[in-house]
Formats: sequence, C-alpha cells, structure tokens
Amino acid sequence: MSAVVSPIREPLIEGGKSYHQITEDLVGPTEKVPGFSWILCMAISLGLFTLGIVSIFWTIFFGIGTWDLNRTIGWGWDITNFVWWIGIGHAGTLISAILLLFRQKWRTGVNRAAEAMTIFAVMCAGLFPVIHMGRVWLAFFIFPYPNTRGPLWVNFNSPLLWDVFAISTYFTVSLLFWYTGLVPDFATVRDRASGIRKKIYSFLSFGWTGSAKHWQRWESLSLVLAGLATPLVLSVHTIVSFDFATSVIPGWHTTIFPPYFVAGAIFSGFAMVLTLMIITRKALNLEEYITLQHVESMNKVILATGSIVGVAYLTELFISWYSGYIYEQFAFYNRAAGIYWWSYFGMMFCNVISPQFFWSKKLRRNITFTFFMSIFINIGMWFERFVIIATTLARDYLPSSWSYYTPTWVEMGIYIGTFGLFFVLYLLFSRVAPVVAVAEVKSILKTAGDQYVGANATHTHHDRQERATHIND
Amino acid sequence: MNQFTFEGKQKTVLGLFILLGLVCMGLTYLTDDELHTRFWSNFLHNTVFFTGIAFVSTFVMAAFTSAYAGWHTIFRRIWEAYSLFLIVGLGLLMVLIGGVWLHYHHLYHWTDVTALQPYVNDAGVYSDVIKEGFKENPNYDVVLGGKSSFLNKYWYTFGTIITVGVWYLFAKRLRSLSLSEDENGDTSYSHHKKIKFVSAVFLPIAAFSSAAMIWQWVMSLDAHWYSTMFAWYATASWFVAALALTILMIIYLKSKGYLEELTGEHIHDLGKYMFAFSVFWTYLWFSQYMLIWYANNGEETVYFHTRMRQYPVLFYGNLIMNFALPFLILMRNETKRKFGTVGFTAALVFFAHWFDFFQMIKPSARINAEHAMHAHHSAGGHDHEAGGHAVDAGHQFLMGFDFPGFLDIGTFLGFAALFVFFAFSRMAQASLIPKNDPYLGESLHHHV
Amino acid sequence: MKKQNKEVLYGLYNDEEILLDAIKVANKDHLDIMDVYTPFPVHGLDPLLGLEESRLHIAGFVYGALGTLTAFGFMTWVFTRDWPIIFGGKPYFSAPAFIPITFELTVLFSAIGMVVSFYTVCGLGPGTENPTLDDRITDDKFCIAFDTAAYSNDQLSKLKDFFKQTGAEEVNTKMI
Repeated sequence: MSAVVSPIREPLIEGGKSYHQITEDLVGPTEKVPGFSWILCMAISLGLFTLGIVSIFWTIFFGIGTWDLNRTIGWGWDITNFVWWIGIGHAGTLISAILLLFRQKWRTGVNRAAEAMTIFAVMCAGLFPVIHMGRVWLAFFIFPYPNTRGPLWVNFNSPLLWDVFAISTYFTVSLLFWYTGLVPDFATVRDRASGIRKKIYSFLSFGWTGSAKHWQRWESLSLVLAGLATPLVLSVHTIVSFDFATSVIPGWHTTIFPPYFVAGAIFSGFAMVLTLMIITRKALNLEEYITLQHVESMNKVILATGSIVGVAYLTELFISWYSGYIYEQFAFYNRAAGIYWWSYFGMMFCNVISPQFFWSKKLRRNITFTFFMSIFINIGMWFERFVIIATTLARDYLPSSWSYYTPTWVEMGIYIGTFGLFFVLYLLFSRVAPVVAVAEVKSILKTAGDQYVGANATHTHHDRQERATHIND
Repeated sequence: MNQFTFEGKQKTVLGLFILLGLVCMGLTYLTDDELHTRFWSNFLHNTVFFTGIAFVSTFVMAAFTSAYAGWHTIFRRIWEAYSLFLIVGLGLLMVLIGGVWLHYHHLYHWTDVTALQPYVNDAGVYSDVIKEGFKENPNYDVVLGGKSSFLNKYWYTFGTIITVGVWYLFAKRLRSLSLSEDENGDTSYSHHKKIKFVSAVFLPIAAFSSAAMIWQWVMSLDAHWYSTMFAWYATASWFVAALALTILMIIYLKSKGYLEELTGEHIHDLGKYMFAFSVFWTYLWFSQYMLIWYANNGEETVYFHTRMRQYPVLFYGNLIMNFALPFLILMRNETKRKFGTVGFTAALVFFAHWFDFFQMIKPSARINAEHAMHAHHSAGGHDHEAGGHAVDAGHQFLMGFDFPGFLDIGTFLGFAALFVFFAFSRMAQASLIPKNDPYLGESLHHHV
Repeated sequence: MKKQNKEVLYGLYNDEEILLDAIKVANKDHLDIMDVYTPFPVHGLDPLLGLEESRLHIAGFVYGALGTLTAFGFMTWVFTRDWPIIFGGKPYFSAPAFIPITFELTVLFSAIGMVVSFYTVCGLGPGTENPTLDDRITDDKFCIAFDTAAYSNDQLSKLKDFFKQTGAEEVNTKMI
C-alpha cells in the first residue's frame, strides 16, 4: 500500500514479517497439540466452572433464600457481578468498532481476542439476571409473545426489559461481527489443514475464496456493522445505568449515569483485555504482533477513561452537595463514611488514583506493572458497582429498614463459576481460532511493519522521498 | 498558496458585521425591559458560545495530538487561530463579571443577596444565626443559601479568570510551539514532543475545569435546578459547533484558493465527526431528558416542563435542527464528501447549536428577570414556592426569548464576525499549513 | 458458486503492488479478468476491476428502518390499543420510554438483515464449499484468474505472456 506514514509512528508488527510468516505465526497455535500449561489452565477453569454449576443448582433447588439478600437489599452480588461482566464486555466492540471508525491501526492486533472476550463476558453477565429471577424455568416470560395470560404483555416501560433487549441485541451483533471477521481466517486455517480438520474448517469458513468482490462487500459490511455497533455499545451500558438512574433512590438517580457507566465499562473492559493479552502474547509467542506499542495504547485508553470516571465521581459528589437535597447529600456521605466505606475507598483508589501512574511512559510500557494494574482496575470496577448497589440499598429512606449484607458461599460460588466459564471459553477459543486477526494484520503490514516504518525500517518507499520534499519546502 | 492574507475587503465586511452587532446590541438595550434582560442574556449567550468554541478547539487539538491522529494537521492552524480567541472571551466575560459586581444585570438569581441568609435585622444586615434584634428573613431562600459558598460573585469572578486564563496560556503555548516548529523544526521532532506533553497536561485540566465553568455560567441561571449531565451536554454542543465552524472556514478558504491539498477525504472525515457528535449530543440530550422525565421529581422536571410548555419552538426546534436534520442529511457516505452538502449542514448545525444555548439560557434568564422585577416592585414580596419559578400562567410570547428576533440574530452575527475577524488576523500570522510537523505527510496524502 | 466445470487459467503474484500493476496492464490490453483472489482486502483494487460500490449499506438502512417501525409501532399498539396499563403514572403513549427498545431493534434488524444479505449475495454459508484455485491464496499469494472458455488457444498463449511479463510467480490451469 502506498500510504504515507508519519516518521514518528512506531511499528505495530515487529520482526520483519512476510505475509507467509504472519500466517505461520498466527495460525500455528491452532495446529499444535495443547501443551501442559494449557491443559492445567483448562483443568482449573473447569474446576471453577463446576463450582459455579453446583452453586447455581443449589440456588435453583433450595431457592433464592440461599443468598443473603433481604427486603432492604434486594440486589447484591448478583447484580454487581452482572454489571461488572457487562462492563468488561464493552472493550471488544469498542476496539473493533470505534477504533475502526477512528482508524487506529493498533486495534488489528487485539480486536479478535477482545471481541471473543466480549461475547464470553456477555454470556457470564446474562447468567445473573436469569438466575436472579428465582424461577428460571419461567425465564421466557420476559419475551413479548402472544400468551394465555391475557395476553398480558411485558412492561415495555421498564428499564429491566430494555436490558433484555439491549443485551440480547448486543450479544447477537457482537457475535455476527466477530464471526464475519473470522470467516476469512478460518479459510486460511482450512487451506493449511488436512483430514478431519479440513472438513471442520471448511464448514466454519463458509466457502470463502478471497474473491475481490467478496472482500469489497466484506469491508462494506464490517464498516456498517462497526457504525451500528458504536452506538450499540454505548446504548448497552446506558440502559444498564437506566436500571438505577430511572429510580428516585438518592445516589442512583443522577443524569450523568449513562456516559459515566459507559466510560467505566470501557475502562474495565480494556483492563480485562490487557490481563488476557499479556498472558496470551506470552503463551502463544505473539510478542511481535501484540507489541509494547499496543500495550501502551491500551494503557492510554485506560488513563483517559479512568480520568473520565474520576471526573464523573467528583461531579456526582459535588452536585450532591450543590443539590441542597439532604437525602442526596447523605447518600454520598454514607458511601464515603458509612458501613461500606472500605468499598468506596477501594473504588476510589483502584479506579481514579492508580491509573494516574500511567502518566509515566515507562510504566505504560512495563508489562509486569501493566498486568497488575489491569487486575487492580477490575477489582476497583467491581467495587464501584458494589458501592452503587449495596451501599445505597443498605441505607434507604427508612432507617428502621437499614440493613447489612454479606454474600453467602452460594453467591460467591456462582461468581467464581463465571470465571470458570469465561476462561474455559477463552482457552477453547485460543486453540480453535487465530487469536489475532490474520487478514487484518496482513493488510496493515506495509504501513505498520517494522521493515517499513519506524527507526529500523529497511524498505525505502517511494513516498519517503515525497515526504522528505514536503518537509523541506 | 498557503500564506493567508487578511484582505482589506474582508476586514471591511467583517467590520460592518461587527458594527451591525453593536447597533443591534444598542437597539436591544434601548428597547429592552427595565433590567435590560434581553441585552444581557444575549451578551452572556454569545460570549459563552464563542468562548466555548475557542475552548473546544484547544481541547480537540490536544486530544488529537494525544491520540496520535495525523490527518487533521493540514487544517490544524484553523484550530490554533480559534483557540486564541479565549483571550477575547475572557475580556467579554470580564464585562459580565463587572455586571455582577456593579448590579448592572440580574441574570443570576443567586446574586440576590437578600435571599441567602435566614435572619435579618431592621438595618438590613443579614445573619446565619439568630441574634439580638434579628428576625426571620422573609426573602430567605434555603436552596440558594445552601449553594452560596459556590454560587457567589467571588467564585464567579476568580474561577472564571483563573480557568479561562489557564486555558488561554495552554492555547498560546501550543500555538507558539507550533509556530516555532515551522521555523526551527527538524527530524528530531522535539517540538512535536513538547506539543504532545503540553496537550497531555491540558486534557485533565480542561476536563475538570470546563464543567465548573458551565455550572457557573449557564447552569446557575437555574439556581435551584441541577443536573450532573449538564456540563457534558453543553460541552458536546460546543464541540459540534466548533466542528461546524471549522468546516465552514475550510470551505471558505478553499473557495479562496487556499489549502489546495485539502480534499474530499478530509471533508469526509470532518463530516463523519459532525455526524457522530451530533448523534452523541442527542444521546446526552436524551439521557438527561429521559431520566428526568422518568423519575418525575418536581425540582428537576421544572426545567423541561418550562421549556416544553412555554417554549415549544425552542424545545422541539432544538431537537429537529441538531438531531433529525444532520442525522438524515449526513447518514449517506456520498453526502459527507460533497463540499456543498457538508457546508450547508455545517451552517445549519452551527446555527442550531447557537440555538441550543439560546434554549438553555433565555427561558431561565427571563424567569430570573421576572422574579427580580417582581421582588423590585413589591418590596419584600419574595415568593418562596419553587423559588418563584412557577410562573406558568399568562405566558406571553416575547421576541428574543421565545424565539430569536432580528436583534438577537444581529447580535449573533456581530459576535460571529468578531470571532472570524480575530481568527483571520491570527491565521495571517503564519502559514496555513504547518511545516515540519511529523504527521504532515499523512495529512497531505490522506486517503480513506 | 458451486462447481461450474470451468477451466481457469490463473497466475499467482507475491505482492499486492505487483498485482495492482499487473491489473493495470491487463486493463490496458483489454483482457477480461474473471476474478481476482487475495489473502486480505487490497485497497485500490475495486476501481481497477471496475467493481461498483457495494449497495449493502442501503439494504442495511432499509432493514433498520423496518426495525424502527416494528418496535415503535408494536409498543404503541400494545400500550394504547391492545392492553393499556398505566405504569408509574406515565401516559399510555410514553414515547421517551419506547426509545431504548426501538433503538435496539433498529440495530438488531439492520445487523441481522445485512449479515444474511451478505452471505446470500456472496453465495457463502455454513457448509458451502466453493472450489479454490490454490491453497496459498489465503496465505500470501495474490491471484488473477481468466476463464479459458472466453479465449482461443492463440489468445491463451498471449495470456501466459501477460503473466510472465507482469511478474507472476506461477501460472496454472485448473478445472473448477
């Protein structure tokens, strides 16, 4: 490609890769028998997942009473975990959609895995509201279908129903987007495979040939899906925030909730992407495709969104005072100095203060530090949801109903189980599909490969001279 | 041809428009009510609008630089020129501040010192605690009293001066680094590194301080009302307005033969931004409206209730012009590449966001003025209910409040001409296309 | 695009820039290219091949509009005609509360419709097996293919010359 690249851009693909080498490196892991560490991770994940299944059965068999929810605190770990997982599920679509529209090339290194992560996270998230309904076998009542109950329709005015639509739409569209991106890569795997693998990947690759017209339509589809997914990803966490903000509960009813939830979701999503990618790049030897440049860019997004979240926290705090409304003022006093003060400080420290370390370029490019930070941030974002939900509910308008809540082993078991589910799916994915988008990486090779751009470029391009003349005139 | 010359003819035309603005302001002042509400609210409205555009231009430059964006380099000088208007904005704001101190205007309810403290004695001295010779203050407004440690003339004055001053210093620093890069830049790109540093420092400062400014300048017009979203909403409005004005400026410069390398690709991207941020603005608008509508708290709904019932043209016009029209026009890719269509939409959207600020400011200013006049005429007859906001009955159409009249449009044109005049004069100081910028090559060969 | 019993003459190139140059030559010589296959989307290819812009996004708009009307119309019907209930003191027709679901269904209809259209129009789908010319096309080779039925033997040798002249790595024929 004869695009001009700024001399100060750093390469995104290292090691002087050729197209064939990219195929080898990225498709290779799907062709090998998994190693011991993979099997170990899988075993642990399956163990956690089993615990989750047992806990869910326990809940369904004995009822929601096995949780510590009470009349005051009707939402506890379940909804906290739901919002937390949904938030994590935002990074994938953000990376692939918004960054595609903003033409940030570094997304190609991480979009595939991030989208996969999105889909798995949404699956984990969806579990919680369903089991929280109590009688899971009646879960289909949430869909508007002609029924024998009147027909009594679902309440379209309820934010909880909006959630049903938002999350199922988000899941569907993310899946379509992800799979459409995977089809050409599955074709690459197919054309290298033989025997039963060839049959399987033939089926998965939908008969892709790489015809020019197909690529053209494929690009057009990707672009429009990205355009659709961008407002969609905003809408999902917006609607989750509506679950709280449409109420008249002090601390919940505040107009900044939608954009602030979205920023928080992106924040935690990127943290989770970093956690996974730092492990993946090491395990699958992808350091030349997921470079320090990628890590740094993601850390910048974390710094930006973390600061936006910080601005929102302070805005809420200030406006609660400014409102002159004593219940609103109490709600925030209670967060910082009430019974759950530790979760408020956990949230403030992990979400607002700790990302500020990323002002340092050295730390942004430090893998170990980034890894710990990414886990830290996800703890902080979990605390944020816990603060919003449990702290607020524990101290409502009626002091005689004030209460305290600690989760039971069943609730913890379900939460741990979702980790199991998440990692089982991710580990499977990392063996079945190329974790980095092969075709997309190839398409940026000539504008981002280190033999073409950056300090060590060896290929002189005719545009280089052209640029030089522009600088001199 | 990359050296912009500010021709005599342009100066004359812009000068005439500024004169028109002054005449309109003068006429407004003469034909106004006794508190000159229309005059002062126009002044506030245009000052906030154009200062905001200057602020957002600085912010966008800093954000783009921090995000390693390269394509905008070719027209970066336009944003530099806009950003320097902050100093003029500060001057205009000083007039408003002066008005607060000297009681020239009654735009803000919180400037009513008689309402802030619960006790008063016969000599007209106010107190927070009951003392010998003090009685209950009949004018006491508990909400305003609670906010008075933020809503007061000291914060208003020093907060504004310091914040806008700091913004200007950043804008100036970015500008001087950019100009120096033209002269002394080399392939070590040390200037660009400095620009990047200054930009990164500016971003958090801007994010925190702009909210406080919007609360003081605009949201405090409805001193009883509050919304955590408001600052972000108003910033989004500024943002789209700044984009629109950038597009208009580019199209004008191209028509004059400048910026030859700027192609449909750049306009396409700017069109996308305008489209995307119009939708984003709508998203913020809807989130704020829907949450207030849904929760149905009287002290919050009063804001939209007033606007929907008494100012339907402003309320619905705002949505149609800022969402429906740009959304439908710019949805297709082809339209985003045509200079004519994009230019038309930019002009529409630019006016529409001015209209949005009109809608934010005017109804509130009118209520405050009616309130102040009421208090003025019937001494001590300060009504408590909802802070005197319930003036539902007998709403009369009033030009300049229910709809922008000729005088308001004239004032707008005057301010716009001042802004453009200033921007032209700054653009003439340097090459229209920055030299030696490391991203220049990308920007000159921008292909989608 | 099932098996068509077509004999195809194709050449493989190593780089997309060589491919683009080759297509320019082919256009100049008025050679009728059957198709071009690449491992990734190559920019600048569509105009050279004279491909019209995809109309997929127009279809997407239509599907989306259908979703908007379906969602908003259905909720309005349910709450104003079929079974009006007052929720939380809101009017029967409470438009702001209908917006979120309307938006979601707009996106859902548009996305599903477009993806289905894409696979249908391209003749792709689960289990479809289209014949491929060379396994390396999805790896690192860029392929120009000619349908031999349209050429006489004379012209075929001219095509082979074309491949040689434009720097093709390999030239083969294959029945597909």
